[in-house]
Amino acid sequence: MTKRRIRRSGLTMPINNPRFVDRSWTRDCDYLNFDLEDSVPQSQKEYARSLVPRAVEMGLKGAAEVCVRINCAYPEADVEAAALPGVSQINFPKAESGEQIRGLDALITEMERRGGIRPGTIRIGVAIETALGVANSYEIASASERIDSFGPGTGYDMSMDMGIEMFVGFDQFFYNRGEGELIALALGLERDGGVYMPDTTGDVGDSSLALARARASRMAGLRSGGGLHPNVVAPQNAGLTPTPEEVGEARGILRFFEELDAAGEAEGALNGKTVDRYESARAAELISWADACALRDAEKAAARQRETERIAREEGRETA
Amino acid sequence: MIPFVRRSLLTVSVLDEDAVASTWTRNADAIILDLGADARDRPAARRVLADAVTAAAMGGSETFVLTNAASAYADARAAAVPELSGVAYVGAESGEDMERLDAALSEIERESGLPLGCLSVIALLDSGAGVWNIREIIRASPRTTSVGLDDAGLRRALGISPSADFDPFEYAKGRVVIEARARNVQPIGMAHPYGASPADGFGDSEIARLALRSKNLGFAGAICPRPSWVSHCNRAFAPAEDKLEFYRETRRLFADGVARDTAAVPYPGTTMMIDVPVDENARVNLELWELCAERESQKAAARELAKLRLEARTPSS
Repeated sequence: MTKRRIRRSGLTMPINNPRFVDRSWTRDCDYLNFDLEDSVPQSQKEYARSLVPRAVEMGLKGAAEVCVRINCAYPEADVEAAALPGVSQINFPKAESGEQIRGLDALITEMERRGGIRPGTIRIGVAIETALGVANSYEIASASERIDSFGPGTGYDMSMDMGIEMFVGFDQFFYNRGEGELIALALGLERDGGVYMPDTTGDVGDSSLALARARASRMAGLRSGGGLHPNVVAPQNAGLTPTPEEVGEARGILRFFEELDAAGEAEGALNGKTVDRYESARAAELISWADACALRDAEKAAARQRETERIAREEGRETA
Repeated sequence: MIPFVRRSLLTVSVLDEDAVASTWTRNADAIILDLGADARDRPAARRVLADAVTAAAMGGSETFVLTNAASAYADARAAAVPELSGVAYVGAESGEDMERLDAALSEIERESGLPLGCLSVIALLDSGAGVWNIREIIRASPRTTSVGLDDAGLRRALGISPSADFDPFEYAKGRVVIEARARNVQPIGMAHPYGASPADGFGDSEIARLALRSKNLGFAGAICPRPSWVSHCNRAFAPAEDKLEFYRETRRLFADGVARDTAAVPYPGTTMMIDVPVDENARVNLELWELCAERESQKAAARELAKLRLEARTPSS
């Protein structure tokens, strides 16, 4: 089975803003999404493509998965610039058909061949941002083996296509969420996105809301986050990681179920809760997810430590 | 979506002479003439239908006739005057149903000397099959410009007792919005509970609130069972006037940012970043505002002309 990717937190940033890119490795993100699309003006597109190697270098310093969001209007030029060693995923916005994704897959395949990258290394992330994209979600999500996660159509572009104002205090994307989640489940993909929580401000840096949403999303079986503001990274990492108490309880459930199993029983009560095969499987999944999160956190911390020490050594040499 | 403005669709009974006579004054973007559910009334209703269409259209409203598969040809034929905009068709369950309707309307256009293709269709879905097959239904004919649920019919078909406590058609409404907008067709509908039980008691502020909620669910217009709904729908389905300056400022700030080689511009005093979709949203809303203003002017001019004509017809004392 493929190793489950840990994508609790991620920041999307304009690749042509060095202030954001140069500090990206310090943010403790599970992934970084360097943008060639909507946050880059038309006049800077060509220049932005030339910045991908440096962005990859920056992102990897903190052991983040590096993603590049390309323009759906310029897949050839963008993929040529973005499909580099070290890039984990190419994000394709405003996906509306399976044909687009098959074309993207072919471009990446060619770039992997030319760049000596192991075939299939670079994943495809698709963003559904139009009504047509929602309507064609199944064919989009099933168009490439490179897609391992799928989420619903929400966000600013989606709201524009639906003719709605966002942040009005109720879930305007419930249909899109249902479609996206069912399709991800039907295709065996990780479900992207979060549960709805009332938000009437649209404040992208609201850390309390980010924590509450991350916790609620984890309870709903969702495992991924992402945003635009550094304030939301730590709450998402925390909210999407099981707490030590939850891990302890899960270990207790596993032990209890093993005892039941050994006694030939299918279910029993532990601390007032029924434990059966389903609860046991849930507990095992929680422990496995918690272990993977801990490993990922250690990996990122070690990378940041190495980079911090390297910078200190360089500064020391300069001073000397 | 097709750039037309059809925010309020006022239903009027053809057999209610007073209602028909005054409907052109209501400022509805569209009027749907209802021939009644009782088949025995239909011949009498058809006899007055052409005059009712002409009368209803005097105020610049698009004018439609409510019909179904069993009566579509006869109803539309009886209504076929130049002022007829099309039919509101209840009960489509498949693309074939819409192809048959399209053929019938083509025949009527030829027989009546109307321009071919001038009659458009508002599809109102009243069955599980209709909701499930919405994609093929709205793609079957280029005449289909709007689609919505016939809430009462769908409720009957599914055996649902109406309750203000929950919306049984949340999924169906979401499907209508997405499938319609994906095919450039206008989704119409009213938020719960008025879509399902429009005859219940309601106040102006509640209608205004629910019309706005409908807009924010993705609908672009709603059927109005009463004239008092019209102004609320006209307002709710247009961009909010108090946000126009915000949209204009957004566009200005973004243009300045692009001139400085950045497409991520902070909106002063907020945590909001303006990028392409935010700028696009502002552009779309400003354009829609212009379209709505133009539509209001058209209707106002038509009403003024109608008044003059009626005054000219009235003998002076």
